[in-house]
Formats: sequence, structure tokens, C-alpha cells
Amino acid sequence: MIIPVRCFSCGKVVGNVYEIYRNRVDKGDDPGEVMDELGIDRYCCRRMLLAHTDLIDEVKKF
Amino acid sequence: MSERKAKLILSDANPTIANALRRVLIADVPTMAIEDVEFHLGTIAGREGDENEYESTTPLFDEIIAHRLGLVPVPTDLSLYNFKDECDTCDGEGCTNCTVIYSLNKKGPCTVYSGDLVPVGDTKSRVADELIPIVKLTKEQALLIYATAELGTSKDHGKWQPTSGVGYKYYPDIEVDKKCNQCGDCISKCPVNILEEKGKKIAVTDIEKCTLCNVCVKACPKDAITVKGLEDKFILSYDTDGSLSAEDVLKESLKILVEKFGNVAELVENLEEDSE
Repeated sequence: MIIPVRCFSCGKVVGNVYEIYRNRVDKGDDPGEVMDELGIDRYCCRRMLLAHTDLIDEVKKF
Repeated sequence: MSERKAKLILSDANPTIANALRRVLIADVPTMAIEDVEFHLGTIAGREGDENEYESTTPLFDEIIAHRLGLVPVPTDLSLYNFKDECDTCDGEGCTNCTVIYSLNKKGPCTVYSGDLVPVGDTKSRVADELIPIVKLTKEQALLIYATAELGTSKDHGKWQPTSGVGYKYYPDIEVDKKCNQCGDCISKCPVNILEEKGKKIAVTDIEKCTLCNVCVKACPKDAITVKGLEDKFILSYDTDGSLSAEDVLKESLKILVEKFGNVAELVENLEEDSE
């Protein structure tokens, strides 16, 4: 739906970097490198960004 | 140690102490977090010069918005705030010594960010991360919210957890003895690349990076390498969410630990008195 505020497993805030991450990955940057630069180090937080599907733009039309 | 990340060495310690510190860092250090959210229901008028009327509906349920707001880290000055139910000045009613009130007023179409939360009164309490998306609004939708943050610990809810990724490991110790023939197998196998050939010896470049995985021990055809963890030295590392700095979290956690041990000593003394 919308990016979770925090990582489900460890509680680190991941919501604040999602838009930066999305923009850079859409431009063609490697997701792993972008996350390294944004300080998302642990694999629990990385999957939050990597596996997220942003559906709120689809849903809000209704 | 930086603002939000810390890595420190505990020497002359044991696993009991390291783990006690870890648990206090996770569950006992108090922080502020939004606990009450009040939504304005019904129509919301536009600001001056804006003739439109807005509906207080959003694509997400109010409960979800309230939950998301709760997870936003709120900067905390532990010398200023009391726990709300233990507050002397207001007896749990909520006052400036135990709560921070935020207002949020946004009209669609837009994305509502955590940075749109405006603290009522002092500006020091602006949220630590301003770019967390809370919800998206479409045309004619608006959000008018009053939210109250209070002090708590993550024993009650994870939103009050100031730290993440708190962990410790034994300080590694790698020894290469005389049997070594510099075949280099260990250097290429090491997953964190901390071994190198120096002169006619195998040397360790950054011992703290070692994960004690023992791959080099298994790779060595001569059994010349041993990896051990020192039993009285630890590397403790953690992140904070920005509500408290890494340094403040550590100071507070040590204070709490001392207090807890003090309580135990007191209890034991009383126990002896009782049994007599």
C-alpha cells in the first residue's frame, strides 16, 4: 500500500528514504548500491524497500 | 560513535553484562512518541482565498494513519519530560512537562509527510525525519489532526524503541602459528576480506570486522590458523532512530542499569532482615 514507517523486524525508520530510493532506482541505479549509500545496512531493512509495492496511487482513485 | 550509529568496545566484561546493557538499550530507555491522535471529522474549509470545501476522508483508515504517526520518531530531551502517569504538575492530565502536541493540516492533492506535523508551542520538537510519507490525499480531501506525544518505553510498544539493531559479539582474536606455509587459501576464502600476506606472514587488516565464521580455519590445509572470541571483551553496536542521539541513549541506559542493580542490592538487604 504505502511504505511502512519502520522496518518490521528491527524498528529502524525506513519510510524517510523510500522516495529517494524510488527515484534513484527508477533512474536506473542499482538498488543495492543506493541502499548502501542511504545507510540501510541490515537485510531486514533492505527487504522493506526492495520488496515494497506502492499501491496507494492505484487505490486512492476510489 | 556518530549521531545515530554507535560501535563500542566493552572490555573487562562478560556476556551477562553485555546482554543486560543490550536489553536496557532496547526496552528500557524512554522516548517520546505520538500516543493520542484526534481527527477532525466532516468538512474542512479551505484557507483564506480558497473557496473549496474539503472532505475529511483519506485513502487509508484513520487507525492506520494514527499508527503511522505513532511510529514517527519524536526528538526527546529526557531532562525535560516526565512519564505522563507519574507527572507531578498535572497528575496524568497532560501538560507541557509530559506531552508535546502536534497539529497537522493539509489539503489535497498532496502527500502528507511527517515533516507536516507542526509542534504547538516550542519548535525544538520538530520530528527527526521529515520525509516519512504518512498518507496521500486526492482532490477535495483534507486532513486536520491534533496529535499528542508522550514518554514511554518499548516494553509497552515498539514505537518507543529508540534503538535498532542492538547486538554484540566477542572481540575476535586470530592466530596464525608456525605451521603456516603462506598458501593464501585463507586470504581468498575470508568473506569479509580482512586477511593479507605481509612479508612471509599472514596478517589481519581489520580484526573488528571478523565475524568469527571460521571459514579460514576450515580452508587452511595445515591447521595453522585459529579463530577465537575473547571471553571478556565485546563489540557492541546499535543504531538510534533520531529521537535520542547515540550518546544520550548510552548514558541513559547506563543510568537505568545502575538504578536496577541498586534496587536488587536493596531487595537482598531487606530479605536478610526479614529472615532474621
